[in-house]
Amino acid sequence: MAEGGSLETPNIREQFLSLCQAYTQELPQRIASIEKIWQHVLEETDGQEALVHLHHLIHKLAGSGATFGFTSLGDIAHALESFIGSIIDQGKPLTVEQHQQIDTLIIALGEVAIDCSPTTAAFPVQPQASPRLPQSELSERLIFLVEDDFDQAQAMMLQVNYFGYTVRVFSQLAGLREAVATTPPAAILMDIMFFEGGLAGIEAIAAIQQERRQHFPAAKPIPVLFMSVRDDLVARIQSVRARGEAYFTKPIDVGQLIDKLDMLVSHHAPEPYRVLIVEDDSTLAAYYALSLQQAGILSVVVTDSMQVMSPLIEFKPDLILMDVYMTGCNGLELAAVIRQQEAYISIPITFLSAETNLDKQMDAMSMGGDDFLTKPIHPQHLIAAVRTRVQRSRVLRSFMVRDSLTGLFNHTKIKEQLSIEVMRSDRDGTGFSFAMLDIDNFKRVNDVYGHLAGDRVIKSLSRLLKQRLRKTDFIGRYGGEEFAVILPGTDSLTALQVLEEIRVGFSQVRQQFGGTEFFVTFSCGIAAFPQFRDTARLNDAADRALYRAKHEGRNKILLAED
Amino acid sequence: MTFPSLIRILFVEDDLDIQAIARLALEAVGGFTVNICSNGIEALESVVAFAPDLILLDVMMPGMDGPSTLQALRQIPQTVQTPVIFMTAKVQNHEVALYKELSAVDVIAKPFDPMTLSATIRQIWENHYG
Repeated sequence: MAEGGSLETPNIREQFLSLCQAYTQELPQRIASIEKIWQHVLEETDGQEALVHLHHLIHKLAGSGATFGFTSLGDIAHALESFIGSIIDQGKPLTVEQHQQIDTLIIALGEVAIDCSPTTAAFPVQPQASPRLPQSELSERLIFLVEDDFDQAQAMMLQVNYFGYTVRVFSQLAGLREAVATTPPAAILMDIMFFEGGLAGIEAIAAIQQERRQHFPAAKPIPVLFMSVRDDLVARIQSVRARGEAYFTKPIDVGQLIDKLDMLVSHHAPEPYRVLIVEDDSTLAAYYALSLQQAGILSVVVTDSMQVMSPLIEFKPDLILMDVYMTGCNGLELAAVIRQQEAYISIPITFLSAETNLDKQMDAMSMGGDDFLTKPIHPQHLIAAVRTRVQRSRVLRSFMVRDSLTGLFNHTKIKEQLSIEVMRSDRDGTGFSFAMLDIDNFKRVNDVYGHLAGDRVIKSLSRLLKQRLRKTDFIGRYGGEEFAVILPGTDSLTALQVLEEIRVGFSQVRQQFGGTEFFVTFSCGIAAFPQFRDTARLNDAADRALYRAKHEGRNKILLAED
Repeated sequence: MTFPSLIRILFVEDDLDIQAIARLALEAVGGFTVNICSNGIEALESVVAFAPDLILLDVMMPGMDGPSTLQALRQIPQTVQTPVIFMTAKVQNHEVALYKELSAVDVIAKPFDPMTLSATIRQIWENHYG
């Protein structure tokens, strides 16, 4: 029998594409008529009939949207369809919550209708990656999803996409082995039951991993996450034997899945340690730098002790290695000066000196040094000393500057970072943007679903921010359901574009809790330097823009006005 | 083993866009002779004259839905035996069982892939007669 694929001719493809284009052009009209009927529902005293009409229109949109490859459109329409269907079944008047939920979903429909492009196999278009900011390591974010149920695969692809992964869907086992051999993905999400058998998914993985071991004995096995409706011990044991990293039973909690994926696919290799070397003997300094470099530790050398402040800000060292006796000012004084600034109270300072007198060493410590190493020092000892201190200081620091729920910077740290950014931009003449985000109607999430659900929502937004923004951006949890973001070197319009994308993405994330699903949005205000010149003005302007966004109906981003 | 040949397909679906895609998928890709109706009533009116080998029925249509159309088709002598496939979004197992009880031979999930729809239909056809 001929396969569908072999019958494919350019002509047919063109015809499909032109149908698809026509559909795309008509989409806004369809959304408009849905909005109109929704108004009817609200205006009429007995809106039941109009509601049935609305339900039908949305049902059609769900079907056609998905057919033409508008997966997110189809998804939202489908959610809306079942939601309205259940309201019709109950036969009661709309509650305020239901009203709001429908409103939100219809708005979301309008947005994806404008934004999205078709993404089915018939019209292959790359799933949307965050286009504005340069995205590195794309292949490291490639996930293979092997799932024979089309609907489930589409829904999951969409959800996993939001968190910055590129998903390639396989609807059958055939072809998977070859694909893994050509482009090994960062992880495989694997269904277990296939047409070939009740454990076919596990068997396929076992074969793939074995083949990989044979060809590349040194290579690590590809992380595999199994997922299945099966919850029996046989399937679970088999999955462990196939070295499955995790086992999820369907329906799958996407939040947990992403957590696990993030853990397995650590896209941020641990940052190399950074050491600032303050030493007036440039040969010696270069020697230290070289020793550290061989251990993968980055360093910047300052030979003029008066120039120490700017690398402190720019280079953000984990540790300062400082000679005690220098011309100009000595290391002890310099340490005291550094310590006087709140931002650097916790940075470890290690003195290097030929001084062997213990009293003098103690003296150095009292000025703010943490440690004393005696010259000459063997490179291995230097490396070991630096490593242990940086390690410990990083852990301590993370307690001080990170929010415990999200791992984002805390309020104090992000404010401090804002002032650092102002100083730097002032000097460089560059700009940056500062955004404040607040989750909409968060209290209602807590009230309706409980605080645990609220925490999950906060985590999902923080995860999305971490994944969609650049490594060089600063993301903080300002408090409660409020977040702050600093985008260095980014003007307000670019920041708007980037955050707008995150806003739309977040509004489409299915928040799952205790078997129910719901959608949450956020509002945001953006202020940019140098339009607002200091931290207080930036804060205030972003806050006011955020307030206006809330006032204008939420799920919105506004730029600060003078 | 030989099967009865599958040439003529009656496609019943109320959405015009899906009709257009299905026509391409079945005629251009699959090489079938296709007649398309927008609702159950139309289907009942034209089914005898068109004499399809197979009928594809959307489940959710305004007025007369898929299952009622199927029941009405079974009252017409010429279509008592004609194989019917339902098309619906979100295929749940219990629904599939229900539709099969109504004498449908299978259920195809929407959205369908236009490139493989015809192959899927042929497969169902072979399984049905196999």
